[in-house]
Amino acid sequence: MFSKQRTWLSGALWKPKNPHSLEHLKYLHNLLCKNQQVTEQNRSLLVETLRSISEILIWGDQNDSSVFDFFLEKNMLSFFLRYLQQRCGRYICVQLLQTLNILFENIRNETSLYYLLSNNHVNSIIVHKFDFSDEEVMAYYISFLKTLSLKLNKHTIHFFYNEHTNDFALYTEAIKFFNHSEAMVRIAVRTITLNVFRVDDKAMLRYIRDRTAAPYFSNLVWFIGNHILDLDLCVRHDMDHRSRDRLSDLVAEHLDHLHYLNDILCIGLDTLNLVLIHHLLNNLFIPLYVYSLTKRKKFDDPQDDRKHVSSVVSLFLLSQVFLIMHHRQLTQQLAEVIFHGDIFLTQTEGMQNSPKAGIREFRAPAESLEKTLENNRPKKRHIQTAPPSVGQEDGAVGETEEGSSTFYLTREEHTDTVSSPSTEGALSPISEVCSADTELSSPTQNSTDEEKLIGLSHRMAIPSGMPDHPLPFTLENRPYLETIFNALECMENDYSALFALCLLYAIGHNEGISQTLLDGVMMPTERSKSKDNYNILLVERLIRIIEQACQSGSKVRLATLEVSIKLLKQLVVREHRSYLQDRHLACIENARECSTQRLRNFYKSEEIFLDMFEDEYREMKNRPLNVEYLMQDASILLPPTGTPLTGIDFNKRLPCGEVERTRKAIRVFFSVRELSLCLMNETEAQLPLTKEDNCIKVNDVLDLNNSDLIACTVLMRESRRQERRFLVIDPMQLILVEPDSKRLGWGVVRFVGFLQDVEVSGDKDDSRLLHVVVHKPSSSIHSRSHPILSARFIFDDHIRCMAAKQRLLKGRQRARLQKMQAIERLLDIPPAPDGTRSRSIPIPGRSHPVRPTSSSSSTTSSPVSTQSQGRGSRRISAEQKRHLQAKAAQRSKSRQVMGPSMGTGLRSGVSPARDGVEMGEEATSAMAVQSLNQNISSNNSSGSERMSGSSRSSGRLVSAGSRGNQGDEARLEIPLEDLSTSSKQHRSLSFERARLARLAREAGVRTNHGHHQAVHHTLMMRSHSLSPHRSRQETSSLMSRKDPRRQSAPQTLATSFKAPSILQTILSQSGSDRRPQITCSGSSSDDSPDSGRARSWSGGAPKTLLPASAPSLSLMDSIGHSRRSISAAMLLPPERTTVVRRCEEEEEEETSRSTTLEVGSGDQGKSTDSALSSDETGPSSSDITPSSETSLSDLALGSEIRPSASTRDRSTSSQLTQLAQLVQEHYAYSCY
Amino acid sequence: MLEQLGQDPNVAVYCTSALHHPQSTGSRHFIVIDALSIGTSNVLGVGKSCLLLQFTDKRFQPVHDLTIGVEFGARMITIDGKQIKLQIWDTAGQESFRSITRSYYRGAAGALLVYDITRRDTFNHLTTWLEDARQHSNSNMVIMLIGNKSDLEARREVKKEEGEAFAREHGLIFMETSAKTAANVEEAFINTAKEIYQKIQDGVFDINNEANGIKIGPQHSPANQNMPSGGGGGNQGGNCC
Repeated sequence: MFSKQRTWLSGALWKPKNPHSLEHLKYLHNLLCKNQQVTEQNRSLLVETLRSISEILIWGDQNDSSVFDFFLEKNMLSFFLRYLQQRCGRYICVQLLQTLNILFENIRNETSLYYLLSNNHVNSIIVHKFDFSDEEVMAYYISFLKTLSLKLNKHTIHFFYNEHTNDFALYTEAIKFFNHSEAMVRIAVRTITLNVFRVDDKAMLRYIRDRTAAPYFSNLVWFIGNHILDLDLCVRHDMDHRSRDRLSDLVAEHLDHLHYLNDILCIGLDTLNLVLIHHLLNNLFIPLYVYSLTKRKKFDDPQDDRKHVSSVVSLFLLSQVFLIMHHRQLTQQLAEVIFHGDIFLTQTEGMQNSPKAGIREFRAPAESLEKTLENNRPKKRHIQTAPPSVGQEDGAVGETEEGSSTFYLTREEHTDTVSSPSTEGALSPISEVCSADTELSSPTQNSTDEEKLIGLSHRMAIPSGMPDHPLPFTLENRPYLETIFNALECMENDYSALFALCLLYAIGHNEGISQTLLDGVMMPTERSKSKDNYNILLVERLIRIIEQACQSGSKVRLATLEVSIKLLKQLVVREHRSYLQDRHLACIENARECSTQRLRNFYKSEEIFLDMFEDEYREMKNRPLNVEYLMQDASILLPPTGTPLTGIDFNKRLPCGEVERTRKAIRVFFSVRELSLCLMNETEAQLPLTKEDNCIKVNDVLDLNNSDLIACTVLMRESRRQERRFLVIDPMQLILVEPDSKRLGWGVVRFVGFLQDVEVSGDKDDSRLLHVVVHKPSSSIHSRSHPILSARFIFDDHIRCMAAKQRLLKGRQRARLQKMQAIERLLDIPPAPDGTRSRSIPIPGRSHPVRPTSSSSSTTSSPVSTQSQGRGSRRISAEQKRHLQAKAAQRSKSRQVMGPSMGTGLRSGVSPARDGVEMGEEATSAMAVQSLNQNISSNNSSGSERMSGSSRSSGRLVSAGSRGNQGDEARLEIPLEDLSTSSKQHRSLSFERARLARLAREAGVRTNHGHHQAVHHTLMMRSHSLSPHRSRQETSSLMSRKDPRRQSAPQTLATSFKAPSILQTILSQSGSDRRPQITCSGSSSDDSPDSGRARSWSGGAPKTLLPASAPSLSLMDSIGHSRRSISAAMLLPPERTTVVRRCEEEEEEETSRSTTLEVGSGDQGKSTDSALSSDETGPSSSDITPSSETSLSDLALGSEIRPSASTRDRSTSSQLTQLAQLVQEHYAYSCY
Repeated sequence: MLEQLGQDPNVAVYCTSALHHPQSTGSRHFIVIDALSIGTSNVLGVGKSCLLLQFTDKRFQPVHDLTIGVEFGARMITIDGKQIKLQIWDTAGQESFRSITRSYYRGAAGALLVYDITRRDTFNHLTTWLEDARQHSNSNMVIMLIGNKSDLEARREVKKEEGEAFAREHGLIFMETSAKTAANVEEAFINTAKEIYQKIQDGVFDINNEANGIKIGPQHSPANQNMPSGGGGGNQGGNCC
């Protein structure tokens, strides 16, 4: 085409050879001059001319400045404009826009740019009415505006924004397309606005705020709101997941909007933000999102035809808001409304006529943005006041006309109503501040906001979170928070619970919300110094969810479980320290036991189980749940489903089929275990099953002297490379080494793979050949396809080949077996005694079965011992705060008390050490029996077969009691914790009994420790950490005795202590009022549900800890192997002790260290002798006698008495030794 | 953006492609595909805007002393006899706004991830870009990895194999191009479009769901089809013949 044009032209003009030269531009200028009218004929020529001009100009910009001078001199831009004005159609328009695009994008010379912009031609082009129905014109036009907006800065802004005429075409023309049907156009508009806002020019920004902000934002908010209504509609009508694509688009769109709004807020233009926040809150977030929370609840008014969405959707949307937006004023106000309810709404409801009633409403803007902007377009300066102020936003525009101060006043009035009408007085100073300071610098704003809040909370008598005077937390008058809390109850499913969790999590993580406000609803976050004051109601609901997740057939999805765990940690864990009350901790422990139990049911000794187990662990570690990503997923907006056919991620739906149920059980186990360890501030010692650190890595140099090496040639399948290697088979890994050139007998590792992933097969043609494939430990289940090694191993002869094959196969088997055993230990599955499974035979290199069993059992199944540890630390800290002054004196006193008792402990430990280990075990088991015995003696009808059962149940009772006790203690000492009315009843029932039991346990520790000093064990870890707390507990109990209210408890003990059947007494004292049948029942079958109920504090569904075979078996086993376990336990990581010691205070260091030993040995004895829950019976209940005596005598008589007490301990325990043996026999019988 | 001193433009490519370009054939409806070009931003450019201009408007011939790029371009191409309009949006300069990047990724069916083979840092940044793209985009988005400035063999810092390996690892299509010599530019864009088209055929992309960056274009009158400047810029490139 062009060549034709050239021939056509050649006669008329001389065309320069070089297309990039001044001459060529002159030639083109000439062309333009001759073709000022666009016609059919010259159209193509003009297009090419325009295109060439842009090319030459850019060339000139980069190479020859005279080109640009010529362009400006001839004012060639005016040609452009003239062509446009001829309405010559798309063809020229697109070319012009492209030319301009290229010009503005590629010009780097700033002066050139200024010249281009200087004569207002560009603005004329911007306001030109292109044919925007043509999508290509639209695309080029908006790209042009975007290119210009990218060139904006403090200097160039004046070419676009005319201060005198108040004209800013670039911006106003762009925002007209804010709701264009094309996504790309909308994005460009957002980019342009952000680029404009970013320019720091006061006059321009004032213009934007006064003239365009209100109309733009109100229209934008309306646009967003309508999207939300669509989204809601989509959710309502799509129970079958049919329009998932559309839904996810709508969700993504909403996210885009939120991110956009957040980006605006983040630019930090306070004055503009005020307008935006006003519109967002009053026209969208509060009326549409928050008000919808209570829909279909009691607040719902059928006549109310205000637009709303379903409460599930609003929960989802609000969590997105809080996850994305962190702007202080916005989130603070929004959270305030959610927490405290909207008094404005409740008060003005029914008075629709009142002028303010319409303020918070989601409704269409009075007129379209384009119209408003047209009206605003300044022909003359004073016309703009004309638009009648329909609605708030227009009002704001009108008022801000004269100066900005009035604007803030109106704004503040809104804030007023946002918070509460009753606070008007409190707010007046702020309005003054604001109006005085036109620019409204942010510090001022901050401080006033704070003031306002404080004023607010005082006036409204809302708990301001001041730790000294906490008011009870209730959900009364908090309709929205109540809805959120209620959503946490997973009755049928966890559909809304997940969103409620995410919302609370997001609120807790939102930096914009002040801690004061959060303290008002007792939601501690990372920022709180202490987490003593957590919201019990909330925590209890979280625990319910966790408990539910651990049950079979649970409707709680993995994601829900994980978010509840996150939220729980956020509420109660701070810097590795848990503030969780003991009764709550006990519930978590219980849940952990349940999850273990449940996984035990799924446990199979099949290969696939191991793979799944490790895969899930990897998955959990590699892809931890990210709440923000979770809430980007539209699929969770639809009711939970179980089918993988929907393509929903596994953790966001219910499991389908046995395999997925197993996977879920594994994941639940990991999650709850991790939570429990975290709450107890322990580090994971057993997971992952493969410790990377212990593995041999490539390029390691190994001493292979005396190792079995098999030489072979490795032929890689893919690369066809051939290498001479030596095959070494480690217990876990397959290793290929190359001889080390430096040291004889050493080898350099060239390849390692896990034996468990090895696949070996022979070759039927070549007996010296093996096919070896080493699979990759996959990070996800779907990607098992890529083996890390796929090769043929060629050996020297077929004997070596056979040997290698056998070793690989055996090695694989053994490696897997070892891991299976590790899993069994984790799950407290005892090695089968009948020898049917090969794993019951101890394997060299494997640690003894009992050791891990007992240690883990004490974690999982003995909430008493573990929880007391957690509680010790927690309670003490609270106490210390409270009795800061009194503490020192009391501490010294307690040290006196402690000192001698320790001494006795040590002494008594040494003297009976004739057969330290043996003795220790027997003594503890004897104690276990004592209570049992007493229990049974009171119930003569019970046969000996039932003994084990009854002992277990009584142990449970005590443990349940002790848990309640802690609640009680907490209540007495820290009254603020007793705020939840719902759980009060439960707790008060168990208080008394529990208190006794706790004392009993403390005492038990005392008695035990004397005898088991020599015993050293893995358990030491736990008991180490126990000890300091224990010792402090005594301090605290001393202190508490000063409290007259508490006198009664020790007294009761004192009287009962001499009675032979002390447990009986305690149980009947505490239990008779409520559940006497437990006390006397000796049958295990009757008891287990009961005890289960006693354990679950909320009185919900009974926790079945049923499948009792495991405990009894493990118990059995541990008796048999107890001695070996002791010797195996020497591999104790020493750093544990230091961890513990950190928590101690220096002054007490000596004391507690020695206690450490004692208590450690005490617990040790316990757990070696009986692995599962039954072991608590012994130490915790039976030892009441001596210990309560000790502590009481401490109190009453002073330290002189103590030696006698310990003597008594010793004699008692030696008596019990025999009883213990008796019981062991019974245990043994009942097992077989 | 001082770019390489390349060889003379290879104009032959345009001739052939211009011949291939159908003026108006078959059904009037065509598919519009939105795609992005991403990579380290323009200031120390990897030449993606030049690539874009190279592809969308053949009338701009690559010349050694001229570097021109655009941030938006559209062009009609034909794949399997089907008219497809490829619209490409440059994401440069908007990185500071999260909302914008996010929206762009989501609204596009394809992306060209461009690095400069003469600058290793641009290659090293790929992971970040890719993570961003993967996180925000539709999982079906087709991503083409482009090592640009392949004409500057002497200053090469990133081996072709490295690019290939990266692409293989992350499931991308890979190509080395030169905006200067126009080598592979055509192929890079058309291959991307082909891949997207294939996904449309397979039903992975829903053509009725505009949010994916794919839609049915409006019917154009044949008269207009004859003289698009940007959209059909290719047919203006015949001046070399």
